Amino acid sequence: MNHLTETEILDTLRQVIDPELGCNIVDLGLVYSVSIEDDKVRVVMTLTTPGCPMHDSIRWGAQNALLGLEGVEAAEVEVVWDPPWHPSMMTEFGRAATGVGSF
Amino acid sequence: VWLFLHPELLATYHYNQYVIAVTHLFVLGWILSIIMGAMYQLVPVALETRLYSERLAWWHFAFHVAGFIGMVCMFRVWNMKQVGHFGSGLAFGVGLFIYNIGRTLRRIPKWNVTATAVTAALCWIAFTVTAGLSLAIAKCTYESTQGLAAAGGVRTFVGGLRSVAGFMSRFDAISAMHAHAHLGAVGLFMMLLVGVSYKLIPMFALSEIQNKARAGWSIGLLNIGVAGSFLTILLRSPWKCAFTLILIAALAIYGFELAAILRARKRQALDWGIRYFLTAIGLLIPVAGLAGVLSWPALPLNLFTGQLENAYGFLGLIGVVSLAIIGMLYKIIPFLVWFRRYSPHVGRAQVPSLADLYSHRLQGLGYWAFLSGIAVTSVAIVFSNAIGVRTGCGILMLAVTTLMINAITMLNHLFKPRLKPFTIGAANVSKAA
Repeated sequence: MNHLTETEILDTLRQVIDPELGCNIVDLGLVYSVSIEDDKVRVVMTLTTPGCPMHDSIRWGAQNALLGLEGVEAAEVEVVWDPPWHPSMMTEFGRAATGVGSF
Repeated sequence: VWLFLHPELLATYHYNQYVIAVTHLFVLGWILSIIMGAMYQLVPVALETRLYSERLAWWHFAFHVAGFIGMVCMFRVWNMKQVGHFGSGLAFGVGLFIYNIGRTLRRIPKWNVTATAVTAALCWIAFTVTAGLSLAIAKCTYESTQGLAAAGGVRTFVGGLRSVAGFMSRFDAISAMHAHAHLGAVGLFMMLLVGVSYKLIPMFALSEIQNKARAGWSIGLLNIGVAGSFLTILLRSPWKCAFTLILIAALAIYGFELAAILRARKRQALDWGIRYFLTAIGLLIPVAGLAGVLSWPALPLNLFTGQLENAYGFLGLIGVVSLAIIGMLYKIIPFLVWFRRYSPHVGRAQVPSLADLYSHRLQGLGYWAFLSGIAVTSVAIVFSNAIGVRTGCGILMLAVTTLMINAITMLNHLFKPRLKPFTIGAANVSKAA
Protein backbone atom coordinates (compact mmCIF):
# COMPACT_ATOMS: atom_id res chain seq x y z
CA MET A 1 0.00 0.00 0.00
CA ASN A 2 1.50 3.32 -1.08
CA HIS A 3 0.67 6.51 0.80
CA LEU A 4 2.35 8.97 -1.53
CA THR A 5 0.46 12.22 -1.88
CA GLU A 6 0.63 15.03 -4.41
CA THR A 7 1.75 17.37 -1.63
CA GLU A 8 4.73 15.13 -0.87
CA ILE A 9 5.65 15.03 -4.54
CA LEU A 10 5.43 18.82 -4.86
CA ASP A 11 7.46 19.33 -1.69
CA THR A 12 10.13 17.07 -3.14
CA LEU A 13 10.13 18.94 -6.43
CA ARG A 14 10.64 22.17 -4.48
CA GLN A 15 14.21 20.95 -3.95
CA VAL A 16 14.87 21.45 -7.66
CA ILE A 17 15.72 25.02 -8.64
CA ASP A 18 15.95 26.92 -11.89
CA PRO A 19 19.50 28.22 -11.33
CA GLU A 20 19.03 31.36 -13.46
CA LEU A 21 15.97 32.54 -11.55
CA GLY A 22 17.13 31.12 -8.22
CA CYS A 23 13.71 29.67 -7.38
CA ASN A 24 12.30 26.15 -7.23
CA ILE A 25 10.34 24.75 -10.16
CA VAL A 26 7.06 24.39 -8.22
CA ASP A 27 6.85 28.00 -7.08
CA LEU A 28 7.92 29.10 -10.55
CA GLY A 29 4.76 27.41 -11.83
CA LEU A 30 6.68 25.05 -14.07
CA VAL A 31 4.98 21.88 -12.80
CA TYR A 32 1.70 21.37 -14.66
CA SER A 33 0.47 18.05 -13.26
CA VAL A 34 1.38 15.17 -10.99
CA SER A 35 -0.09 11.68 -11.22
CA ILE A 36 0.63 8.83 -8.83
CA GLU A 37 -0.05 5.21 -9.61
CA ASP A 38 1.15 2.80 -6.92
CA ASP A 39 4.92 3.35 -6.79
CA LYS A 40 5.09 5.17 -10.12
CA VAL A 41 5.03 8.96 -10.43
CA ARG A 42 4.49 10.97 -13.59
CA VAL A 43 5.12 14.72 -13.73
CA VAL A 44 4.27 17.01 -16.63
CA MET A 45 6.19 20.25 -16.54
CA THR A 46 7.53 23.06 -18.71
CA LEU A 47 10.47 25.47 -18.68
CA THR A 48 10.53 29.24 -18.80
CA THR A 49 11.71 29.36 -22.41
CA PRO A 50 12.03 26.86 -25.28
CA GLY A 51 15.66 26.09 -25.96
CA CYS A 52 16.48 26.72 -22.30
CA PRO A 53 20.08 25.56 -21.81
CA MET A 54 19.09 24.08 -18.45
CA HIS A 55 16.49 21.84 -20.10
CA ASP A 56 18.14 18.48 -19.43
CA SER A 57 19.57 19.49 -16.05
CA ILE A 58 16.19 20.49 -14.67
CA ARG A 59 14.33 17.52 -16.13
CA TRP A 60 16.91 15.02 -14.84
CA GLY A 61 17.00 16.90 -11.54
CA ALA A 62 13.24 16.52 -11.12
CA GLN A 63 13.50 12.83 -11.95
CA ASN A 64 16.37 12.33 -9.49
CA ALA A 65 14.46 14.11 -6.73
CA LEU A 66 11.38 11.92 -7.30
CA LEU A 67 13.41 8.71 -7.33
CA GLY A 68 15.00 9.83 -4.07
CA LEU A 69 11.59 9.86 -2.41
CA GLU A 70 10.78 6.80 -0.32
CA GLY A 71 8.12 4.66 -1.97
CA VAL A 72 8.87 5.81 -5.54
CA GLU A 73 10.25 3.10 -7.79
CA ALA A 74 9.74 4.76 -11.17
CA ALA A 75 9.50 8.40 -12.16
CA GLU A 76 8.68 9.93 -15.51
CA VAL A 77 9.14 13.64 -16.20
CA GLU A 78 7.72 15.00 -19.43
CA VAL A 79 8.55 18.54 -20.60
CA VAL A 80 5.81 20.18 -22.67
CA TRP A 81 5.53 23.61 -24.31
CA ASP A 82 1.78 23.83 -24.50
CA PRO A 83 0.50 25.77 -22.67
CA PRO A 84 3.56 28.04 -22.72
CA TRP A 85 4.79 29.16 -19.32
CA HIS A 86 3.85 32.62 -18.15
CA PRO A 87 4.97 34.44 -14.98
CA SER A 88 1.33 34.63 -13.86
CA MET A 89 1.62 30.88 -13.14
CA MET A 90 4.07 31.58 -10.31
CA THR A 91 3.07 31.41 -6.65
CA GLU A 92 3.33 34.44 -4.39
CA PHE A 93 6.54 32.95 -2.98
CA GLY A 94 7.94 32.51 -6.49
CA ARG A 95 7.15 36.11 -7.42
CA ALA A 96 8.78 37.41 -4.28
CA ALA A 97 11.87 35.22 -4.79
CA THR A 98 12.39 36.28 -8.40
CA GLY A 99 11.33 39.91 -8.21
CA VAL A 100 8.41 39.39 -10.59
CA GLY A 101 5.54 41.84 -10.15
CA SER A 102 1.96 40.78 -9.44
CA PHE A 103 -0.72 40.26 -12.11
CA VAL B 1 48.26 47.67 -18.57
CA TRP B 2 49.91 48.60 -21.87
CA LEU B 3 47.94 51.86 -22.01
CA PHE B 4 48.67 52.55 -18.33
CA LEU B 5 52.41 52.22 -19.00
CA HIS B 6 52.24 54.16 -22.27
CA PRO B 7 49.37 56.64 -21.93
CA GLU B 8 50.78 58.75 -24.76
CA LEU B 9 49.39 56.13 -27.17
CA LEU B 10 45.89 57.48 -26.65
CA ALA B 11 46.98 61.07 -26.08
CA THR B 12 48.45 61.33 -29.59
CA TYR B 13 47.29 60.44 -33.10
CA HIS B 14 46.57 56.76 -33.63
CA TYR B 15 48.29 56.00 -36.94
CA ASN B 16 51.41 54.35 -35.58
CA GLN B 17 52.59 50.79 -35.05
CA TYR B 18 52.08 50.76 -31.28
CA VAL B 19 48.47 51.92 -31.33
CA ILE B 20 47.74 49.45 -34.12
CA ALA B 21 49.43 46.66 -32.12
CA VAL B 22 47.57 47.44 -28.88
CA THR B 23 44.28 47.82 -30.80
CA HIS B 24 44.69 44.38 -32.38
CA LEU B 25 45.67 42.91 -29.02
CA PHE B 26 42.50 44.35 -27.53
CA VAL B 27 40.15 43.65 -30.43
CA LEU B 28 41.40 40.20 -31.40
CA GLY B 29 42.70 39.00 -28.04
CA TRP B 30 39.85 40.22 -25.86
CA ILE B 31 36.74 41.17 -27.81
CA LEU B 32 36.87 38.72 -30.72
CA SER B 33 38.06 35.78 -28.57
CA ILE B 34 35.17 36.30 -26.15
CA ILE B 35 32.61 36.95 -28.86
CA MET B 36 33.54 33.90 -30.91
CA GLY B 37 33.68 31.66 -27.83
CA ALA B 38 30.33 33.02 -26.66
CA MET B 39 28.83 32.47 -30.12
CA TYR B 40 29.78 28.81 -30.02
CA GLN B 41 27.82 28.61 -26.75
CA LEU B 42 24.99 31.04 -27.36
CA VAL B 43 24.05 30.65 -31.02
CA PRO B 44 22.85 27.07 -30.48
CA VAL B 45 20.99 28.17 -27.32
CA ALA B 46 19.51 31.34 -28.80
CA LEU B 47 18.43 29.60 -31.98
CA GLU B 48 17.39 26.31 -30.41
CA THR B 49 19.74 24.01 -32.27
CA ARG B 50 23.13 22.29 -31.81
CA LEU B 51 26.62 23.37 -32.82
CA TYR B 52 27.68 21.78 -36.10
CA SER B 53 31.19 20.74 -34.97
CA GLU B 54 33.01 21.15 -31.67
CA ARG B 55 36.22 19.80 -33.20
CA LEU B 56 36.27 22.60 -35.80
CA ALA B 57 35.83 25.09 -32.96
CA TRP B 58 38.99 23.76 -31.28
CA TRP B 59 40.95 24.03 -34.53
CA HIS B 60 39.66 27.58 -34.93
CA PHE B 61 40.81 28.39 -31.39
CA ALA B 62 44.36 27.19 -32.17
CA PHE B 63 44.60 29.26 -35.38
CA HIS B 64 43.04 32.27 -33.67
CA VAL B 65 45.42 32.33 -30.70
CA ALA B 66 48.56 31.72 -32.77
CA GLY B 67 47.37 34.23 -35.39
CA PHE B 68 46.54 37.15 -33.14
CA ILE B 69 49.60 36.79 -30.90
CA GLY B 70 51.86 36.73 -33.96
CA MET B 71 50.03 39.68 -35.51
CA VAL B 72 50.37 41.83 -32.40
CA CYS B 73 54.09 41.07 -32.06
CA MET B 74 54.72 41.77 -35.73
CA PHE B 75 52.66 44.97 -35.71
CA ARG B 76 54.79 46.17 -32.82
CA VAL B 77 57.99 45.79 -34.85
CA TRP B 78 56.13 46.80 -38.03
CA ASN B 79 56.99 43.69 -40.02
CA MET B 80 53.98 43.73 -42.31
CA LYS B 81 54.97 40.64 -44.27
CA GLN B 82 54.85 38.59 -41.05
CA VAL B 83 51.63 40.38 -40.06
CA GLY B 84 50.23 39.06 -43.33
CA HIS B 85 51.43 35.53 -42.59
CA PHE B 86 50.01 35.43 -39.06
CA GLY B 87 46.92 37.25 -40.31
CA SER B 88 46.42 34.51 -42.89
CA GLY B 89 46.46 31.94 -40.07
CA LEU B 90 43.91 33.98 -38.17
CA ALA B 91 41.82 34.34 -41.33
CA PHE B 92 41.86 30.56 -41.84
CA GLY B 93 40.51 30.19 -38.30
CA VAL B 94 37.81 32.75 -39.06
CA GLY B 95 36.94 30.71 -42.14
CA LEU B 96 36.44 27.65 -39.92
CA PHE B 97 34.30 29.75 -37.58
CA ILE B 98 32.10 31.03 -40.41
CA TYR B 99 31.67 27.51 -41.81
CA ASN B 100 30.85 26.05 -38.38
CA ILE B 101 28.33 28.73 -37.39
CA GLY B 102 26.96 28.83 -40.94
CA ARG B 103 26.24 25.07 -40.85
CA THR B 104 24.72 25.53 -37.39
CA LEU B 105 22.41 28.24 -38.75
CA ARG B 106 21.19 25.86 -41.46
CA ARG B 107 19.87 23.58 -38.72
CA ILE B 108 17.67 26.12 -36.96
CA PRO B 109 13.97 25.22 -36.93
CA LYS B 110 12.60 28.78 -37.09
CA TRP B 111 14.30 31.79 -38.72
CA ASN B 112 14.15 35.02 -36.73
CA VAL B 113 15.74 38.44 -36.35
CA THR B 114 18.63 37.06 -34.26
CA ALA B 115 19.49 34.53 -36.96
CA THR B 116 19.46 37.32 -39.55
CA ALA B 117 21.83 39.42 -37.46
CA VAL B 118 24.21 36.49 -36.87
CA THR B 119 24.26 35.73 -40.60
CA ALA B 120 24.99 39.37 -41.41
CA ALA B 121 27.77 39.43 -38.79
CA LEU B 122 29.37 36.38 -40.43
CA CYS B 123 29.41 38.21 -43.76
CA TRP B 124 30.89 41.36 -42.23
CA ILE B 125 33.63 39.49 -40.39
CA ALA B 126 34.61 37.86 -43.69
CA PHE B 127 34.82 41.30 -45.32
CA THR B 128 36.69 42.76 -42.33
CA VAL B 129 39.35 40.05 -42.41
CA THR B 130 39.67 40.35 -46.20
CA ALA B 131 40.07 44.11 -45.89
CA GLY B 132 42.66 43.68 -43.13
CA LEU B 133 44.71 41.21 -45.15
CA SER B 134 44.49 43.49 -48.19
CA LEU B 135 45.85 46.33 -46.07
CA ALA B 136 48.77 44.15 -44.97
CA ILE B 137 49.44 43.09 -48.56
CA ALA B 138 49.42 46.73 -49.68
CA LYS B 139 52.22 47.52 -47.23
CA CYS B 140 54.49 44.67 -48.33
CA THR B 141 57.10 44.75 -51.03
CA TYR B 142 56.99 41.53 -52.93
CA GLU B 143 60.04 40.17 -54.67
CA SER B 144 59.93 40.16 -58.43
CA THR B 145 58.23 37.20 -60.03
CA GLN B 146 61.06 37.13 -62.58
CA GLY B 147 62.93 33.85 -62.36
CA LEU B 148 60.01 31.88 -61.03
CA ALA B 149 58.72 29.07 -63.19
CA ALA B 150 56.43 30.43 -65.90
CA ALA B 151 53.42 28.41 -64.86
CA GLY B 152 54.39 27.98 -61.20
CA GLY B 153 51.78 28.31 -58.50
CA VAL B 154 54.07 30.55 -56.45
CA ARG B 155 54.49 32.93 -59.40
CA THR B 156 50.71 33.15 -59.80
CA PHE B 157 50.26 33.66 -56.05
CA VAL B 158 52.88 36.41 -55.78
CA GLY B 159 51.42 38.02 -58.90
CA GLY B 160 48.02 37.97 -57.23
CA LEU B 161 49.41 39.62 -54.10
CA ARG B 162 51.00 42.33 -56.22
CA SER B 163 47.68 42.93 -57.95
CA VAL B 164 45.95 43.33 -54.62
CA ALA B 165 48.68 45.70 -53.46
CA GLY B 166 48.23 47.69 -56.66
CA PHE B 167 44.49 47.88 -56.17
CA MET B 168 44.81 48.99 -52.55
CA SER B 169 47.25 51.76 -53.54
CA ARG B 170 44.24 53.61 -55.02
CA PHE B 171 43.03 54.35 -51.51
CA ASP B 172 44.82 56.39 -48.89
CA ALA B 173 46.19 54.26 -46.08
CA ILE B 174 44.48 56.02 -43.17
CA SER B 175 41.03 55.89 -44.78
CA ALA B 176 41.48 52.22 -45.60
CA MET B 177 42.49 51.52 -41.99
CA HIS B 178 39.48 53.45 -40.67
CA ALA B 179 37.14 51.62 -43.05
CA HIS B 180 38.53 48.23 -41.95
CA ALA B 181 38.22 49.11 -38.24
CA HIS B 182 34.70 50.52 -38.61
CA LEU B 183 33.55 47.49 -40.58
CA GLY B 184 34.67 45.15 -37.81
CA ALA B 185 33.43 47.29 -34.92
CA VAL B 186 29.97 48.01 -36.31
CA GLY B 187 29.43 45.17 -38.79
CA LEU B 188 30.51 42.43 -36.43
CA PHE B 189 30.43 43.70 -32.84
CA MET B 190 27.41 46.00 -32.96
CA MET B 191 25.46 43.66 -35.21
CA LEU B 192 25.92 40.80 -32.76
CA LEU B 193 25.26 42.98 -29.74
CA VAL B 194 21.95 44.11 -31.21
CA GLY B 195 20.91 40.77 -32.72
CA VAL B 196 21.78 38.52 -29.78
CA SER B 197 20.26 40.91 -27.24
CA TYR B 198 16.89 40.50 -28.99
CA LYS B 199 17.01 36.93 -27.67
CA LEU B 200 18.92 37.26 -24.41
CA ILE B 201 17.36 40.36 -22.84
CA PRO B 202 13.80 38.97 -23.11
CA MET B 203 15.11 35.65 -21.76
CA PHE B 204 16.80 37.20 -18.72
CA ALA B 205 14.15 39.85 -18.00
CA LEU B 206 11.20 37.53 -18.67
CA SER B 207 9.81 39.51 -21.55
CA GLU B 208 9.48 39.19 -25.31
CA ILE B 209 10.07 41.20 -28.48
CA GLN B 210 7.28 43.76 -28.67
CA ASN B 211 7.44 44.64 -32.36
CA LYS B 212 9.13 42.18 -34.74
CA ALA B 213 8.99 44.61 -37.66
CA ARG B 214 10.76 47.28 -35.60
CA ALA B 215 13.46 44.77 -34.62
CA GLY B 216 13.82 43.79 -38.29
CA TRP B 217 14.17 47.41 -39.37
CA SER B 218 16.95 47.99 -36.87
CA ILE B 219 18.96 45.07 -38.30
CA GLY B 220 18.20 46.04 -41.90
CA LEU B 221 19.23 49.67 -41.46
CA LEU B 222 22.31 48.60 -39.53
CA ASN B 223 23.37 46.51 -42.54
CA ILE B 224 22.78 49.37 -44.98
CA GLY B 225 24.71 51.73 -42.70
CA VAL B 226 27.63 49.32 -42.32
CA ALA B 227 27.99 48.78 -46.08
CA GLY B 228 27.60 52.47 -46.92
CA SER B 229 29.92 53.63 -44.15
CA PHE B 230 32.64 51.22 -45.28
CA LEU B 231 32.60 52.52 -48.84
CA THR B 232 32.26 56.20 -47.96
CA ILE B 233 35.00 56.08 -45.32
CA LEU B 234 37.28 54.23 -47.75
CA LEU B 235 36.63 56.78 -50.51
CA ARG B 236 36.62 59.82 -48.17
CA SER B 237 33.18 60.62 -49.55
CA PRO B 238 31.01 63.40 -48.05
CA TRP B 239 28.14 60.86 -48.17
CA LYS B 240 29.71 59.32 -45.08
CA CYS B 241 27.46 61.63 -43.08
CA ALA B 242 24.30 60.15 -44.63
CA PHE B 243 25.26 56.60 -43.73
CA THR B 244 26.20 57.68 -40.21
CA LEU B 245 22.66 59.01 -39.86
CA ILE B 246 21.31 55.67 -41.10
CA LEU B 247 23.40 53.88 -38.45
CA ILE B 248 22.16 56.26 -35.77
CA ALA B 249 18.57 55.68 -36.95
CA ALA B 250 19.11 51.91 -36.75
CA LEU B 251 20.44 52.18 -33.20
CA ALA B 252 17.62 54.55 -32.19
CA ILE B 253 15.05 52.03 -33.44
CA TYR B 254 16.92 49.35 -31.51
CA GLY B 255 16.80 51.55 -28.42
CA PHE B 256 13.03 51.99 -28.77
CA GLU B 257 12.50 48.25 -29.10
CA LEU B 258 14.81 47.50 -26.18
CA ALA B 259 12.93 50.01 -24.02
CA ALA B 260 9.62 48.41 -25.02
CA ILE B 261 10.96 44.94 -24.17
CA LEU B 262 12.10 46.19 -20.77
CA ARG B 263 8.80 47.98 -20.07
CA ALA B 264 6.97 44.71 -20.71
CA ARG B 265 9.29 42.64 -18.53
CA LYS B 266 7.85 40.48 -15.79
CA ARG B 267 11.02 40.41 -13.72
CA GLN B 268 11.24 43.86 -12.21
CA ALA B 269 14.66 43.55 -10.57
CA LEU B 270 17.52 43.82 -13.07
CA ASP B 271 20.74 42.14 -11.94
CA TRP B 272 24.19 43.66 -12.37
CA GLY B 273 24.88 41.68 -15.53
CA ILE B 274 21.89 43.27 -17.26
CA ARG B 275 22.77 46.69 -15.81
CA TYR B 276 26.27 46.46 -17.29
CA PHE B 277 24.76 45.59 -20.66
CA LEU B 278 22.12 48.33 -20.62
CA THR B 279 24.67 50.94 -19.54
CA ALA B 280 26.85 49.90 -22.48
CA ILE B 281 23.87 50.44 -24.77
CA GLY B 282 23.33 53.85 -23.14
CA LEU B 283 26.93 54.77 -23.95
CA LEU B 284 25.97 54.46 -27.61
CA ILE B 285 24.47 57.95 -27.26
CA PRO B 286 27.83 59.79 -26.85
CA VAL B 287 29.40 57.41 -29.37
CA ALA B 288 26.68 58.24 -31.91
CA GLY B 289 27.17 61.95 -31.18
CA LEU B 290 30.90 61.64 -31.88
CA ALA B 291 30.17 59.64 -35.04
CA GLY B 292 27.92 62.47 -36.25
CA VAL B 293 30.64 65.06 -35.62
CA LEU B 294 33.43 62.97 -37.19
CA SER B 295 31.47 62.22 -40.34
CA TRP B 296 30.65 65.90 -40.93
CA PRO B 297 32.09 66.72 -44.40
CA ALA B 298 33.42 70.17 -43.40
CA LEU B 299 35.27 68.90 -40.32
CA PRO B 300 38.85 70.24 -40.30
CA LEU B 301 41.61 67.64 -40.17
CA ASN B 302 43.52 68.96 -37.17
CA LEU B 303 45.00 67.57 -33.95
CA PHE B 304 41.73 67.97 -32.04
CA THR B 305 39.85 65.98 -34.69
CA GLY B 306 42.45 63.23 -34.36
CA GLN B 307 41.83 63.10 -30.61
CA LEU B 308 38.08 62.95 -31.19
CA GLU B 309 38.74 59.93 -33.43
CA ASN B 310 40.74 58.33 -30.60
CA ALA B 311 37.91 59.03 -28.14
CA TYR B 312 35.38 57.58 -30.61
CA GLY B 313 37.33 54.33 -30.95
CA PHE B 314 37.99 54.14 -27.20
CA LEU B 315 34.38 54.77 -26.19
CA GLY B 316 33.08 52.41 -28.85
CA LEU B 317 35.38 49.48 -28.16
CA ILE B 318 35.86 49.83 -24.41
CA GLY B 319 32.81 51.82 -23.30
CA VAL B 320 30.20 50.04 -25.38
CA VAL B 321 31.50 46.68 -26.58
CA SER B 322 33.65 45.73 -23.58
CA LEU B 323 31.09 46.82 -20.97
CA ALA B 324 28.41 44.85 -22.80
CA ILE B 325 30.72 41.83 -22.96
CA ILE B 326 31.46 42.03 -19.23
CA GLY B 327 27.73 42.15 -18.53
CA MET B 328 27.16 39.07 -20.65
CA LEU B 329 30.20 37.33 -19.10
CA TYR B 330 28.46 37.64 -15.74
CA LYS B 331 25.70 35.57 -17.31
CA ILE B 332 27.78 33.13 -19.34
CA ILE B 333 30.60 32.16 -16.93
CA PRO B 334 28.26 31.24 -14.03
CA PHE B 335 26.13 29.22 -16.43
CA LEU B 336 29.11 27.27 -17.80
CA VAL B 337 30.55 26.63 -14.34
CA TRP B 338 27.16 25.66 -12.90
CA PHE B 339 26.37 23.41 -15.83
CA ARG B 340 29.66 21.53 -15.52
CA ARG B 341 29.84 21.27 -11.72
CA TYR B 342 26.28 21.30 -10.40
CA SER B 343 24.11 20.00 -13.21
CA PRO B 344 24.67 16.29 -12.31
CA HIS B 345 23.67 16.99 -8.68
CA VAL B 346 20.28 18.62 -9.32
CA GLY B 347 17.59 16.67 -7.51
CA ARG B 348 20.17 14.82 -5.39
CA ALA B 349 21.48 17.68 -3.26
CA GLN B 350 20.92 21.41 -2.76
CA VAL B 351 22.82 23.28 -5.45
CA PRO B 352 23.51 27.04 -5.55
CA SER B 353 21.83 29.31 -8.06
CA LEU B 354 23.92 31.14 -10.70
CA ALA B 355 23.78 34.35 -8.65
CA ASP B 356 25.32 32.53 -5.67
CA LEU B 357 28.55 31.82 -7.54
CA TYR B 358 30.13 35.30 -7.32
CA SER B 359 30.29 38.48 -5.23
CA HIS B 360 27.62 41.07 -6.03
CA ARG B 361 29.51 43.70 -4.05
CA LEU B 362 32.57 43.28 -6.30
CA GLN B 363 30.28 43.38 -9.32
CA GLY B 364 28.91 46.75 -8.17
CA LEU B 365 32.38 48.10 -7.40
CA GLY B 366 33.57 46.99 -10.84
CA TYR B 367 30.61 48.71 -12.50
CA TRP B 368 31.28 52.11 -10.93
CA ALA B 369 35.05 51.78 -11.40
CA PHE B 370 34.55 50.96 -15.08
CA LEU B 371 32.28 53.95 -15.66
CA SER B 372 34.66 56.29 -13.80
CA GLY B 373 37.62 54.95 -15.76
CA ILE B 374 35.80 55.42 -19.06
CA ALA B 375 34.82 58.99 -18.20
CA VAL B 376 38.30 60.05 -17.01
CA THR B 377 40.11 58.40 -19.92
CA SER B 378 37.73 59.76 -22.57
CA VAL B 379 38.05 63.35 -21.36
CA ALA B 380 41.85 62.96 -21.10
CA ILE B 381 42.03 61.58 -24.64
CA VAL B 382 40.09 64.52 -26.06
CA PHE B 383 42.46 66.98 -24.37
CA SER B 384 45.64 64.95 -25.14
CA ASN B 385 46.39 64.62 -21.45
CA ALA B 386 48.69 61.64 -20.85
CA ILE B 387 48.43 61.84 -17.04
CA GLY B 388 44.65 61.75 -17.28
CA VAL B 389 44.83 58.76 -19.63
CA ARG B 390 47.10 56.97 -17.16
CA THR B 391 44.73 57.78 -14.27
CA GLY B 392 41.69 56.60 -16.21
CA CYS B 393 43.41 53.39 -17.30
CA GLY B 394 44.45 52.79 -13.67
CA ILE B 395 40.79 52.98 -12.62
CA LEU B 396 39.88 50.67 -15.48
CA MET B 397 42.50 48.20 -14.23
CA LEU B 398 40.69 48.22 -10.87
CA ALA B 399 37.45 47.39 -12.66
CA VAL B 400 39.12 44.57 -14.59
CA THR B 401 40.59 43.27 -11.31
CA THR B 402 37.10 42.96 -9.79
CA LEU B 403 36.01 40.98 -12.84
CA MET B 404 39.06 38.70 -12.57
CA ILE B 405 38.50 38.08 -8.85
CA ASN B 406 34.87 37.22 -9.51
CA ALA B 407 35.87 35.00 -12.44
CA ILE B 408 38.34 33.13 -10.20
CA THR B 409 35.64 32.84 -7.51
CA MET B 410 33.28 31.32 -10.07
CA LEU B 411 35.90 28.96 -11.50
CA ASN B 412 36.79 27.88 -7.97
CA HIS B 413 33.41 26.14 -7.80
CA LEU B 414 34.77 23.66 -10.36
CA PHE B 415 37.27 22.44 -7.78
CA LYS B 416 35.38 23.13 -4.53
CA PRO B 417 31.66 22.67 -5.16
CA ARG B 418 29.24 23.89 -2.49
CA LEU B 419 26.66 21.16 -2.14
CA LYS B 420 24.27 20.74 0.79
CA PRO B 421 22.05 17.77 1.60
CA PHE B 422 18.30 18.10 1.13
CA THR B 423 16.36 19.28 4.11
CA ILE B 424 13.34 16.99 3.50
CA GLY B 425 12.64 13.67 1.80
CA ALA B 426 14.63 10.49 1.71
CA ALA B 427 18.00 10.48 -0.04
CA ASN B 428 17.57 7.17 -1.73
CA VAL B 429 19.22 8.43 -4.93
CA SER B 430 20.79 5.13 -5.87
CA LYS B 431 17.68 4.26 -7.87
CA ALA B 432 18.31 7.26 -10.11
CA ALA B 433 21.71 6.02 -11.22
